[in-house]
Amino acid sequence: MSVLRVAPRTAVVLTLASAAALATFTWPFFVPAHPESTARTGEAPLVFIVMLPVLVALVLAELTSGGIDSKALAMLGVLAAVNAALRPLGAGTAGIETVFFLLVLAGRVFGPGFGFLLGATSLFASALLTAGVGPWLPFQMLCASWIGLGAGLLPARLRGRAEVAVLAGYGMLAAYGYGLLMNLWFWPFSVGADTQLSYVAGAPVLENLHRLALFTAVTSTFGWDTGRAITTAVAIVLAGPAVLAALRRAVRRAAFGAPVTFAAASDRPAAKVTGIPQSSSQAT
Amino acid sequence: MWWLPRGLHPGAWWLWALGLATAASHTTNPLPLALLVAVAGRVLGRRRGDAPWALAFRMYVWLGAVIVTMRVVFRIVFGGGQGDHILVRLPEIPLPAWAAGIRLFGPVAAEQILGGFYDGLRLATMLICLGAANALANPKRLLKAVPGALYAIGTAVVVALSVAPQLVESVLRVRRARRLRGASARGMRALRGIALPVLADALDRSLALAAAMDSRGYGRTAAVPAGQRTVTGALVLGGLVGVCAGTYGLLDTAAPGYLGLPMLLAGLTAAVTGMLLAGRRVRRSRYRPDRWRPAELLVAGCGVAAAALTMLAGSVDPELLYPPVSPLTWPQLTPLMLLAVGVAAAPAWLAPPPPPTVSAGRPPAVDRPIPVTDVPADGVRAARASTPGDRP
Repeated sequence: MSVLRVAPRTAVVLTLASAAALATFTWPFFVPAHPESTARTGEAPLVFIVMLPVLVALVLAELTSGGIDSKALAMLGVLAAVNAALRPLGAGTAGIETVFFLLVLAGRVFGPGFGFLLGATSLFASALLTAGVGPWLPFQMLCASWIGLGAGLLPARLRGRAEVAVLAGYGMLAAYGYGLLMNLWFWPFSVGADTQLSYVAGAPVLENLHRLALFTAVTSTFGWDTGRAITTAVAIVLAGPAVLAALRRAVRRAAFGAPVTFAAASDRPAAKVTGIPQSSSQAT
Repeated sequence: MWWLPRGLHPGAWWLWALGLATAASHTTNPLPLALLVAVAGRVLGRRRGDAPWALAFRMYVWLGAVIVTMRVVFRIVFGGGQGDHILVRLPEIPLPAWAAGIRLFGPVAAEQILGGFYDGLRLATMLICLGAANALANPKRLLKAVPGALYAIGTAVVVALSVAPQLVESVLRVRRARRLRGASARGMRALRGIALPVLADALDRSLALAAAMDSRGYGRTAAVPAGQRTVTGALVLGGLVGVCAGTYGLLDTAAPGYLGLPMLLAGLTAAVTGMLLAGRRVRRSRYRPDRWRPAELLVAGCGVAAAALTMLAGSVDPELLYPPVSPLTWPQLTPLMLLAVGVAAAPAWLAPPPPPTVSAGRPPAVDRPIPVTDVPADGVRAARASTPGDRP
């Protein structure tokens, strides 16, 4: 069940923007070393920092351009609020990360498009609530969005224990991937240009990967990411079934996608107009 | 007049801060960088209100300090930028081959530490300038100013910001209900008993909110002719293809020059134009919109001018903005740079003072376009009765 329909054009926009955005994370691997191009590569990181917010805005605008249902919008806002409220719970305590678990479950229930939007809005709202808007925010938003999107793309037929197991595995993978991408983004900025841990422009990809692995090991983010992966998986296994049931119940009650028809007032029994949540799907 | 106490358009503060950050990015000279940090602090001290987001500045200063320390410590431990003025010789620790043959510690030169300090200070200054914008600009009013194409997302974020405080109230209510029933479970089970009802309550609340939005006419769209829709789609798609090609051109030296930055900019422009055109479909009215008045223009102009003056100073005398680390030289200030810093500090006096505190603790402006609590009582009761964990 997908709450937000992703049109073919939107899918193309999403793919193109994701491809360009991936380059803003992985540029240290591809930056050339030739001296005549240093003027161009010197400004590459700053260009990317300016470019990514625009790309994120483009994708978000495109995803919502079909006119997003008011029920889906309210659900998006409320789930983003829950996520934003969950986030400070784990902040600061070595690697305990509480955001991804609800993001993965909601992406699974509400579909890929909704998962993408939820990832972005959750991190944005949490940045506003705890006041942490900075150049890193669009990168975090995009990573979280990819996680929600991926959760929505998992095979739909799974149910029961197999579903929870797959989701927990995906949650672990996503937590590691998020850590790796954010590390990759922060790497050139945190160590500077010419230490033994810095990236080497023009070096083979494998050598730079080696250096990145050393950097992650040194800054102890391995431990951090592992903590995050374990928290996410444990939370999904423990609370997953109940939360999935609650979310599915909400989807049923909201009756997304039910066509709305209007009828003359006299045709309708007056007593039926009282149920508030069902009001817009009642006429079906 | 504009010096009456009022909140400034958040975009003005952001432009000012981005101007300062741009100025900081064009120099590694510690003197103007330190002055820029001082300017940000001074303007903040005179012009911030007492809203929660105004307290964020300290976090950014700490983050800046962490970045500078990290850069210097990395330089000491992992080497890089060696020089002649050796301060101390630490014992070298060669690592095995699987660690890429790195050696730890070794001689520590003054040039090495200074290089790391300069670089780190530049990054920290840019960050602190953005922190000032975070503390000065009201994020909720900024959300009101998003372009039409992002209206839905902006609304979702506004809903999230308004609902988040209500979750606390929801937790308290569920806990009270549990105590009344004599539930004494602790630990994991208690968490389940509280978290799930709160989640179910939040989900039900969202349905009630959607009904409230529907009844107030949310989602009205203007008819857009098919031709225009095709044009916006083509602009967005073509622009993104341009962005991909431009990114490739930026990173590949073999690619012709026009494939780099020019292509990237053209692609971004086309895509953003398409997005803005698509936003014309959204019809909405605004309650008390923020306008660009002289004070806003002045503040934003100060930021832009500071950035432009720094660039000018850089083109006149690059040596002074990037003081060489070897040979060691004392950093100096130029009159042009001082002027840039002075212009950057002007909003501390030019901008109108922030409005006085509202007693109820709510910001004076209307921040909630959607009344979240406006649910008829029976709807809430029905929602509460059906909350799964609430049953005895």
